[in-house]
Amino acid sequence: MSGQNRLLAILLGVLAVLVLLVGGLSAVLLVGGGSDDGSPSGVRSGTSDGGGSGDGGDGSSSATGRLRLSGTDPVTLDPHLATDASSAEYIVEIFSGLVTITPDLEIALDLAEALDVSADGTVYTFTLRDDAFFHSGRRVTAEDVAYSINRATSRELQSPVARAYLGDIVGAREHLAGQADSVSGVEVIDDRTIRFTLDAPKPFFLAKLTYPTAFVVDQQQIESNPRNWTRNPNGTGPYRLQEWRLGERIVLESNARFYLGEPPLKEVLYALSGGSALTRFENDDLDVASISINDVDRARDPSSDLNPLYAVWPQFTISYLAFNTAKPPFDDVNVRRAFGLSIDRAKIAAVTFNSMIAPATGILAPGLPGYTADDKTLPFDPDAARAALADSKYTIQDGRLVGPDGPLTIVITEVGAGAEAAIDTQAFLEQWRTELGLDVEIRQTDFATYLAEQDAGELQMFNGGWIMDYPDPEDILDLKFHSGSQLNDLSYANPQVDAFLEAARTEQDPELRLQQYRDAEQLIIDDAAWLPLYFSQAHVVVNPAVTGWFEPQMVIPRLRFVEVNR
Amino acid sequence: MGAYVIRRLLWLPVVLLVVTFFTFTIARFGPGDPVSVAAGQIRDPEVLAQIRADRGLDGTIVEQYQRWLFDAVRGDFGESFQQRGFTVSEIIFPKMWISAQLGMLALVIVFGVGIPLGLLAARLSGTWVDPFVIGTLLFLQAIPVLVVIPPLLWLFAVQYDILPVGGWDGLFDIWWIGGVIAIPIPDPHLYIPLLAFTLPGFAGVARLTRITALEVQREDYIRTARAKGLPESAVAFRHVLPNSLLPLVTVVAFALAGVVEGAFFVETLLGIPGIGRFTFEAVVSRDYDAILATTVVFSVLFVLMNLAADLTYGLVDPRVRVGATRS
Amino acid sequence: MTSQAGVAEAPRSPVVGRSEWAVTWERLRRKRLAMISLVLIAIIYGGGLFAPLLSPYTYNEQNLDRALEGSSADHLFGTDRLGRDVLSRAMYSARTTLIVTAAVVLSGSLIIGNTLGLLAGYRGGWVDNVIMRVGDIFSSLPGLPMLILINAAFAPRVTDLVRQVEDNTPLSGLVSSGFASYLILFVALSLFFWVGTARVIRAQVLQLREREFIMAAESLGASQRRIIFRHVLPGVSFLIVLQVSSGLGSVAGSEILLSWFGVGVQPPAASFGAMLFEGSGARTFQAHPNLLLVPGVIVTLLLFSFALLGDALNDAMRGR
Repeated sequence: MSGQNRLLAILLGVLAVLVLLVGGLSAVLLVGGGSDDGSPSGVRSGTSDGGGSGDGGDGSSSATGRLRLSGTDPVTLDPHLATDASSAEYIVEIFSGLVTITPDLEIALDLAEALDVSADGTVYTFTLRDDAFFHSGRRVTAEDVAYSINRATSRELQSPVARAYLGDIVGAREHLAGQADSVSGVEVIDDRTIRFTLDAPKPFFLAKLTYPTAFVVDQQQIESNPRNWTRNPNGTGPYRLQEWRLGERIVLESNARFYLGEPPLKEVLYALSGGSALTRFENDDLDVASISINDVDRARDPSSDLNPLYAVWPQFTISYLAFNTAKPPFDDVNVRRAFGLSIDRAKIAAVTFNSMIAPATGILAPGLPGYTADDKTLPFDPDAARAALADSKYTIQDGRLVGPDGPLTIVITEVGAGAEAAIDTQAFLEQWRTELGLDVEIRQTDFATYLAEQDAGELQMFNGGWIMDYPDPEDILDLKFHSGSQLNDLSYANPQVDAFLEAARTEQDPELRLQQYRDAEQLIIDDAAWLPLYFSQAHVVVNPAVTGWFEPQMVIPRLRFVEVNR
Repeated sequence: MGAYVIRRLLWLPVVLLVVTFFTFTIARFGPGDPVSVAAGQIRDPEVLAQIRADRGLDGTIVEQYQRWLFDAVRGDFGESFQQRGFTVSEIIFPKMWISAQLGMLALVIVFGVGIPLGLLAARLSGTWVDPFVIGTLLFLQAIPVLVVIPPLLWLFAVQYDILPVGGWDGLFDIWWIGGVIAIPIPDPHLYIPLLAFTLPGFAGVARLTRITALEVQREDYIRTARAKGLPESAVAFRHVLPNSLLPLVTVVAFALAGVVEGAFFVETLLGIPGIGRFTFEAVVSRDYDAILATTVVFSVLFVLMNLAADLTYGLVDPRVRVGATRS
Repeated sequence: MTSQAGVAEAPRSPVVGRSEWAVTWERLRRKRLAMISLVLIAIIYGGGLFAPLLSPYTYNEQNLDRALEGSSADHLFGTDRLGRDVLSRAMYSARTTLIVTAAVVLSGSLIIGNTLGLLAGYRGGWVDNVIMRVGDIFSSLPGLPMLILINAAFAPRVTDLVRQVEDNTPLSGLVSSGFASYLILFVALSLFFWVGTARVIRAQVLQLREREFIMAAESLGASQRRIIFRHVLPGVSFLIVLQVSSGLGSVAGSEILLSWFGVGVQPPAASFGAMLFEGSGARTFQAHPNLLLVPGVIVTLLLFSFALLGDALNDAMRGR
């Protein structure tokens, strides 16, 4: 009995400890709730916590209102390292560069107030504004710009995108390779003037400079805190990071000294965790929410209370099916065309996606330079598809294509985050089976595997997507389809296409240049290297108290156009 | 017994060594690596190769493992690819903290509700209540988390709009009464995850309580107590309850294991920024250092749980003399 | 994956002789709940086993014109987003679960777990140590993420290997039948499922070894093989049966969880995990509850039946 009583004591002790633990923890949380001590957040000093209505550290602030959005943790807030849209979303608000993209997708001067381009198109001379300051209050000089470009292209930083965005500047590649101490094509003329020299006239150079890789960062801050400076970044943009609690929330606060005037919106809160955005929107926890396929019928219903708040915005994102033109049977253009002619994208978009995406009319999305409204893609035509297949060098036998080396297995690879394959892929499979009599297998892999195999050119056929980085056809046509491009994962090579793309690289006449891209686009579609599937759309509802909200086709600074009247 | 505990604890580093090497090899054996995942859609093979070389990802597995081990022993678990500028430890500890709070609360509820239900079933053994209670709890145990969460969300968040649809906002909110008295109430974000965690757990605790309570009731001293004319409630509280509780110590470890496994799904489904969800994200994006760190965390947890279970077995059942068995 | 708790308590009358199996069955038959469970399991697994004969449609028959319909005469449980019959897909999912559970319980629990448990318990010494320490290591790995990682690492290689076998031998249809994905799933699950069985069996063998009749057999010079098969194995056979019955439930549960995360059969093949994935989400549930409820109810009934059956079996074996 005594032994058992001892045990009982132990047990009750354990329970008591558990209760105390939970209680104690919550007490700590309660006490420390406001100060966020010990959390890995970058709390900006000088402002009080929460509330949003309270005036910040800056007495001259005229901004008001608080916008509540849902978001995700950025991979990094270092503009020179960021490559993903979710990071860029924050970076374009906190930092800025010499040039930017307006909501109309025009390239506009930002930190620079004047630009002079030499007659041969290779020398760009920028004059900086004299009223541009970092959040810390220090003036932005030409030295800061030069430091930023040199940092972005340094070997030590290992930026995966510096070569793509800044590689056109003379000496940038040498600097990236560690063969030079700095980029020779970047010259500081005086405090407010900086000059870039390019290796060739590149009409798309300014478009590339709008990307965060060319944004300006604070040398003093980075050198004093090289590891952790992004938790409290000193940028030049309209907003500054007030708080970042990993996985919980990000708070941006308006920059009263922003050179284009303080944004009207005082505070932006991004909730980084939580479930369905629409439910939170309807519970008045969010001001903007995207609409999922299950809710879109309700949003479209004119009698619904969601309907007046609902809007659809086209995006610069295309999804496609890609064929590896070096791998049988897709080394035969007839097979590729047969696959394209036998899928009914319009119907699949309408049924399985409830018309929340638009069937693609080409490779260039609506709104991009060079876009035309007419449908350039392969139509749904089963008879033509069967005819094309009959013209190919392969024959069909028991649901498989048979070539000179025997029957071929056709496998389509896609990224599978969860259990179910992309719903449209399953529909395509069924159409190829019924219309062409061909069995195609789905293979799902995780993202890492998919990328490795895509880069190695091992995928026979895959489901992919492309998000435009800057609004120029070069960003998709040249990068993905030029036979010499490292991003050409299709082994696609058409000398005619190459000729158009190369001519367009240096063509100074904008209209002629776009025509060259249109010609290349049509050739690529006729070769059926890609089957363009759909252009994405953003379906959102916005709280009526929010004015000026828009969903841009690609990531651009937008918070300073928004107001909240509550 | 002290020697036994020490021997078992000495075994822990060996387990960790094998487990991390195993995980390390498997993670790197698969195609793909975090460098290309982190690079985005413009992937320059030359730059990626250079990054791999600089991050030490181009050596042999054994070389890489040695380097990792050397750093890890000194407490440096590397840097996450998913979250640049943060060390893995910095990311993991707050997430572990969130999961631990939820898990502890779930455990307390599982035992707090399971024990009384078990006693009730034992007390009313022979009536319809006993099989009804146990059957209901068994049924709750059989519903997979995946099936139970969407209806819960629909009911509480969509239909009646009384609970948030997921996320995390600390353990307690405070209600101020007159600005003086603070009443902590559980944060509304907790209810649905706690339901999902605890519903499948009641059955195990209640059933064990019931069985031991039934056995205790047959013991001599209970009969003696009844014979002495003690009121039934006194018998239940002074004799049956304490003695039925003892074997429950052994299932704490099992219940904890259940909560840990459940965390993977509950956190993923409900958008709770805990360690379970993070583990899955790390695995999918092949975030090597993060995978290794979470493996270490879980392995330590499981080894300690096993040890605790073995020790409590010995305490409860004197026949299992811990340390004296052949192992 | 840690549901060994139910059988951890050692039964009172461990020796159930060969002739007593009939007695146990008699006892079991008198338990109504157990019989109902058995019938439910038989219906669900039978539906899976004979799905190609019984199901009104195939698992992949699409009809985009009739997507997301409710219950009707053509489609008893409605259709999914591609217009596939939910009932037929549920039957084929049961088939997937049946194949995986049978394979894992047979290989992981029954063969590997019992052999290693017997070996560890009977031989003792370093054999025991090695086996139990390896078991310790497996039980200290976080199961679910590990399985996903193993699947990611090995699935492409195994599939390629199977495809090569297909190309170089008269065998065909292995990959498209999902053989490769079954193979990975069942090897990976077996890796983790033998530990529990081995531990329980070992503990029982350790107790048996101290019994007079085994000592007597040993002193009489009976061969080890004879002792194991004639004396030890019958002594643990009741435990093996209990292990199998509890293993069936937990493997089925794990298979469903794993296929939800995309580990397991490749789409468009049907699995409960994939069906639940498609039907999850509060909004989807609101609009099309059949997508979640049909697989959800079947899975719950299956797991509940396994739990009840295991309980009843346990009671029957202990003479209750």
